[in-house]
Amino acid sequence: MSLLAVVLEVAAVVGLLHLVSLVAVVGVDDLRAAPRRAPRTLRAALSPLATLAAVLAVNGVIRRLGAELSWLVGVNVTGVIYAIEGAFVAVVQSFATPAATAYFGFVYVFGYVYLLTFPLLATTLRGHTRTLRTLIAAYGLNYGIGLVCYVVFIAYGPRNLMPDLVESLLFTSWPRSQLLTSQVNVNTNVFPSLHTSLSVTVALVAYRARDRYPRWTPVAVALAASVVVSTMYLGIHWATDVVAGVGLAVGSVVAAERYERRRDADRRGDSGRSGESPEPGGSTERTRG
Amino acid sequence: MERSPPTVATRRRVLAGLAGGGVAATAGCIGRIRSVSGWESSTQVRLDIKTVPADADPYALRIARQLREWYRAAGIDARVTPMSEQELFRQVLLNREFDAFVARMPARFRTPDSLFPLLHSRFVETPGWQNPFGYADLEVNELLETQRRTTGRRRAEAAATLQTEIARTQPFTVLAFPDDIRAARPDRFRGWQGADLRSPTGYLSLDRTAPGRERGTADGTTATAEAASDRRTLRVATTDPRATANLNPLAVEFRRGDAVTGLLYDSLGYETDEGTTEPWLAESWAFSEVDDAHVARVTLRPGTTWHDGTPLTAADVAFTYDLLADTTLDGGPSTDDGGTTADGEGEGERVPAPRFQGRSSLVADAEAVDDRTVEVRFVDCDPTVAARAFTVPVFPEHVWMNRTDTVSLGGLEFGPATEALVTNNIPPVGSGPLRFVRNTPRESLVLEPFADHFLARRPPEELPRGFADAPAFDRLSVRVVGSGVTAVEVVTDGDADVTGTPVGADTVPRIGRAGDTSLVVDGRSAPYVVGYNALRQPLTNPQFRNTLARLVHRPSLVRAVFEGYARPTVSPLSTRRWVPSELRWSGEDPVTPFIGSDGTVDAERAREAFRTAGYSYDGDRLVRTAR
Repeated sequence: MSLLAVVLEVAAVVGLLHLVSLVAVVGVDDLRAAPRRAPRTLRAALSPLATLAAVLAVNGVIRRLGAELSWLVGVNVTGVIYAIEGAFVAVVQSFATPAATAYFGFVYVFGYVYLLTFPLLATTLRGHTRTLRTLIAAYGLNYGIGLVCYVVFIAYGPRNLMPDLVESLLFTSWPRSQLLTSQVNVNTNVFPSLHTSLSVTVALVAYRARDRYPRWTPVAVALAASVVVSTMYLGIHWATDVVAGVGLAVGSVVAAERYERRRDADRRGDSGRSGESPEPGGSTERTRG
Repeated sequence: MERSPPTVATRRRVLAGLAGGGVAATAGCIGRIRSVSGWESSTQVRLDIKTVPADADPYALRIARQLREWYRAAGIDARVTPMSEQELFRQVLLNREFDAFVARMPARFRTPDSLFPLLHSRFVETPGWQNPFGYADLEVNELLETQRRTTGRRRAEAAATLQTEIARTQPFTVLAFPDDIRAARPDRFRGWQGADLRSPTGYLSLDRTAPGRERGTADGTTATAEAASDRRTLRVATTDPRATANLNPLAVEFRRGDAVTGLLYDSLGYETDEGTTEPWLAESWAFSEVDDAHVARVTLRPGTTWHDGTPLTAADVAFTYDLLADTTLDGGPSTDDGGTTADGEGEGERVPAPRFQGRSSLVADAEAVDDRTVEVRFVDCDPTVAARAFTVPVFPEHVWMNRTDTVSLGGLEFGPATEALVTNNIPPVGSGPLRFVRNTPRESLVLEPFADHFLARRPPEELPRGFADAPAFDRLSVRVVGSGVTAVEVVTDGDADVTGTPVGADTVPRIGRAGDTSLVVDGRSAPYVVGYNALRQPLTNPQFRNTLARLVHRPSLVRAVFEGYARPTVSPLSTRRWVPSELRWSGEDPVTPFIGSDGTVDAERAREAFRTAGYSYDGDRLVRTAR
């Protein structure tokens, strides 16, 4: 069961990264307060969590239908993307060294999972309800819009279109990882790059919360940048996918923040009448522009 | 090649000029306009090369990219469009939506008659692996028919002329016979070297290693459990997900070859490496001549049954040929008195099977004499050719007679396809040596030996040569992985016994480094070709295709793409004795020699060749008049 082995490996490494980061980012004091705070925070984030779960479930169903649906209703844009950017990814790969391949391979699989999961954990433990809700809503938007794009646009990545110029570096250096990635996605789903959009989403949200997460923000930004480069470096995504991914991330974060702001305003209006506390979660949260 | 808007633009400009001319327009001017509008502006020749991505085929896309470079050097606007193999086959074989495609042929062409369905113009209207090129050449038709009717020297001559004519008119360009490269583990099964794993017989010819010789696999517990009961699963890693989702032998877009469906469905006979046909499900057959037609009396093996327990009879065999000729069975079973064959149908449109037409079209009609005897009457052809008709899979009448209605979804009818062509046929009811256990679409497929099969039941002396035993495994499990490299790693890790689909030459060092894994290289393979749509401009012109073929330098492909693991070829036929000496590869293409040297197109000479063929250049763009 080598797929299971890969999953366990990822879980173990990401778990280890979490442990280290918890101490460094969340801190001992907040960890002590966490058992009391976390359940309340999670309850407050229930509605975006349910939405995200629903989006992921739909994602799962659509993936079961597989590329079949795409081929029926979608357009093959591989040629268009190639016409736009040509062999740019091959240029990126021309800087390849064994060390860089190891680093970007690690970042693409382990770093990405860590980057996406840690802020959920950290904001929950520290009781930052609004940041958590924003993040989850942005994830949901990323997945939802990404999914529609995957159905509408059929595109193969550079490693599949120009095998003579672009090596499939992740899978030639660590073939077993493909057992995992092919469980998560099919090779026609490259536009836009969800690796890019979700990583950039985390980086944007972290940047907004930089006052409260001074240690996490630089890590998130650096890691997100590495993930973005890795998608091209490993020959999986086109630069076009990456640009579209960044656009999707910015759009998702802006929309999620706007939604949360409006919700807050509504709740304040309500609470003015009913006299309830507007912030059920953390105490340190401030509204930022 | 798409028509671009200049046609409209020109007319519009002329009309605008007319309006501007206003009152000054005279009868003379109108005459001038009419003359001008007959001359349309010219557009660059565009070629869209469709093929499969690198994950699905180690070589096809790289071939297509190299062709694109060569075509571009001659001023053609060539581009490459990758798509899944299923989609490629749907667009090319069923809808004929393509300019050119790069693919591996579905099977080896061992005999000249295997070219019949591919190139005879009577199949232009038949979807599937029947003349997908829309190619029509009366001389080729005649030669194809001659080689069916003749024997000896006359057949050899017809075959030789046929191959030369094909090489000149280029319905497709044959590139090379690749070596099928596989990784296999010799610790649980042996006989990998020499087993033809593109055909079902390859898996049946394997032997298990003696118990105890097994080395520890990564999955130690299963291995010990298996050793205890001596049950053994043959684990195959494949990059082709289609067989896990569809097991219909007629579904052309899901079939690469017949390795899997051939294990589930028996045929009366099987084709040997030499191209002869030997009895398989049939015990024997005897040819005779009745009223100037060859008739074969085929005797089935005694006691054969389908996987669901229903007895397999001669009626199923007769039904099979009716079904292949017309899956609607509308003309009434052709075994009816009066001998109405496929052309005698009354009402509905014929929907022939998109596969096996070359072989099934040899049969004029088939009739069950008794349970074990079927009489097959052939069209005008020689018995050695006629016996090829026995290699089609036999279908159970009690299952497939319910699949003859045209397909409808929610009351809407879709084209002329029948249920028989679109069903995924899971679970399949065949009579082959293996039967279906379970599947998870796009992930896995499990088969097991069929205990009532003749290989398991009959004494060795009655069995076909080399198959004197039941299969050496107790299960056959197929698992889908993302690419060839991953398939190799799954084998070297001990999680699979063999890579079912051939892998690329770039994995050879990886296989060599792994201690417990053998490299299996098999040169008996189907060729890679570039197919052209001869019904689209300017590919309709044989001279254009001929010139296009002169932009292909096979030795470069063999060196750069196949890394030496292939042989260049001009003729599609793989059996040396059928290929005339003047067509055999001797370092250069004898019919369409490369325009250039050492893999680099000589642009000046290429332009000259296309000009001679009647095309012109606008700068360095090859143009043709859009009409």
